[in-house]
Amino acid sequence: MSSTGHLEALGGAAGESPAGSVTYLDAVRAALRDALRSDERVFLLGEDIGAFGGAFGVTAGLLDEFGEERVLDTPISEEGFVGAAIGAAWMGERPVVEIQFADFLSCPFDQIVTVAAKTHWRSGIALPLTIRAPTGGGVRGGPFHASSPEGFFVGVAGLKVVCPGSVEDAYGLLRTAVEDDDPVLYLEHKALYRRLRAELPPETHRTPIGKARIAKPGTDATVVTYGSGVPLALDVADRVAADVEVLDLRTVWPLDAAAILESVGRTSRMLVLQEASRSSGAAGQVLSLIAREGFESLDAPPALHAAPDTPVPFAPELEDAYLPSLESTTAALEQLLAY
Amino acid sequence: MPTDGIVPASDPKSVTHATRLELFRLVLLQRLVEERVLALYRQGRIAGSVYDGRGQEAVAAGAGLALGPDDVVAPLNRELACHFARGVEVAHVFRNFLGRATGPTFGRDGNMHFGVPERGVFPLVSMLGNLCPVVTGAALAFKRRGEPRVAMTFLGEGAFSVGDTHEGLNLAAVWHVPAVFVIQHNQWSYSTPVAKQTANPNFAERIRGGWSIPAERVDGSDALAVYETVQAAVERARAGEGPQAVEALSLRLHGHAAHDDARYADAAVRDEYERTRDPIERLAARLLLDGLSETTLDAFRSEVADEVGRGLAEAEAAPAPDPATLLDGVYANPVE
Repeated sequence: MSSTGHLEALGGAAGESPAGSVTYLDAVRAALRDALRSDERVFLLGEDIGAFGGAFGVTAGLLDEFGEERVLDTPISEEGFVGAAIGAAWMGERPVVEIQFADFLSCPFDQIVTVAAKTHWRSGIALPLTIRAPTGGGVRGGPFHASSPEGFFVGVAGLKVVCPGSVEDAYGLLRTAVEDDDPVLYLEHKALYRRLRAELPPETHRTPIGKARIAKPGTDATVVTYGSGVPLALDVADRVAADVEVLDLRTVWPLDAAAILESVGRTSRMLVLQEASRSSGAAGQVLSLIAREGFESLDAPPALHAAPDTPVPFAPELEDAYLPSLESTTAALEQLLAY
Repeated sequence: MPTDGIVPASDPKSVTHATRLELFRLVLLQRLVEERVLALYRQGRIAGSVYDGRGQEAVAAGAGLALGPDDVVAPLNRELACHFARGVEVAHVFRNFLGRATGPTFGRDGNMHFGVPERGVFPLVSMLGNLCPVVTGAALAFKRRGEPRVAMTFLGEGAFSVGDTHEGLNLAAVWHVPAVFVIQHNQWSYSTPVAKQTANPNFAERIRGGWSIPAERVDGSDALAVYETVQAAVERARAGEGPQAVEALSLRLHGHAAHDDARYADAAVRDEYERTRDPIERLAARLLLDGLSETTLDAFRSEVADEVGRGLAEAEAAPAPDPATLLDGVYANPVE
């Protein structure tokens, strides 16, 4: 998202960063490194992740530490190497796949939805498989390098889909995903890679899958969000003249319905904020939940602020207009509060 | 009692009498179980749809038996005998067709769509080619761990029109993993003949030339030839020589599934194959030439038929799934 205030405050240029802090990207890399160190069944595979260190540098240095047997460069073959990761997981390995851009998840969609998601249910074979993919815009990536395709996977029985919105969860969710016995889609946001900065959590830190977190408590309204929406919502909450709660879903499938209902039950107003197009992403499920089970607690119609139903555009003028911004999100929240 | 016109199966000296008898048991089991399944389906006692591999039993049996006890395999619709070669019980197969709670998919999937994890069998998925990269990944795990194990899957010739097949073969070759691909070239992809699927139906040649994977062609109606050829491929893969492929030429004698009468196919071609190359009768003819008496062979056929009957009875007595379990099993680690 094009918000910068809170993000700059957390990170900014590397030279200004507080001592001891790491970026969101560093946290992803640290989680991979620690998982590789702690369990020899873990190995990485994906395009250009070895000597090159990955398109965003997430796996930089891991080839040197762990060697080609555990940091495996693949051909351009997403359906093939996701399938291969499934086969390795069947044999008890814990592969972690990197999909270079989350847009490319359309290529291995069949392996993910047909094979990975249904195998445990129809055979009892567990598939401990993690698929990482950078989502999102804000880097002028255009329609094939900036999408937020999590909505394709929300509602797919047998999959778990997580979207870290903080440094702590970038680490903790990835460690949990690798140790989980089910296929997990771990969708890291590329615009947060170098913007978010915080202390690296301890090696023992794990973020539970399926549990939302109150990123900021409040009483007047709840912003339900995830991924890049989290730092944006925190910024917006600072700007409005109300006490706003920010609920970071962290896992978008299966949803933490109890946490959403509990928060909105207290605040009586809900804004769902997501970077994905308004008819995609996780918003539909959240709004449906509130309509069905939270209706009587509402003082205002549930609101949605999201990108429009178009592909992600390239030109800065268009992409800035497409992404939820500090200004547009503030306006959406103020409208909700004024109802 | 060799049927007139039947060409006896080949006589590879390396294949022992015990193995020949076991292969005969496997092809016959597939034939008799499938005949029973089709009858049950037509009586309305099996729901959904059923697929059989009539005419292709030798490929399933020969390739399945070529695997070692610690190897793994992903069979498809036409390879029931491969399950039996892995030690899967007849009753377990019937429990799946009948949708029983104690079957391999717990009633969640039907017909040949099942795996048996404790026997190293991965469950079939309907999307053709999907399991090609999956077994490549299983073989990658064996290579990583230095285990002398092999992963196999079957691919119909129809799967060579799908991208997954290309990606899986390519990865297997690049990674040099112990995977074996058995091509079930049965001439038909549902109602589409091979001539409308590809400009080059010599799949062994394409696999050699396209992916640099050793690939041989074998007569898919000859269980002994299939066994000998696939076993050699399996042992080459096990010895570290990388992926291997075998293209088995056969003919699908039934429609794609039980609802399909295959009226689009030339019945005369089918009849001729059945008359001269029926895989069960070819192997029976070889066993008689080996010196087995007709009486012994008939007794053997009766034993296998009895095994099928007992398996069906056991499966029919198995419980149906309880609708209260509808939400179970989606996750290995359910979110609390």
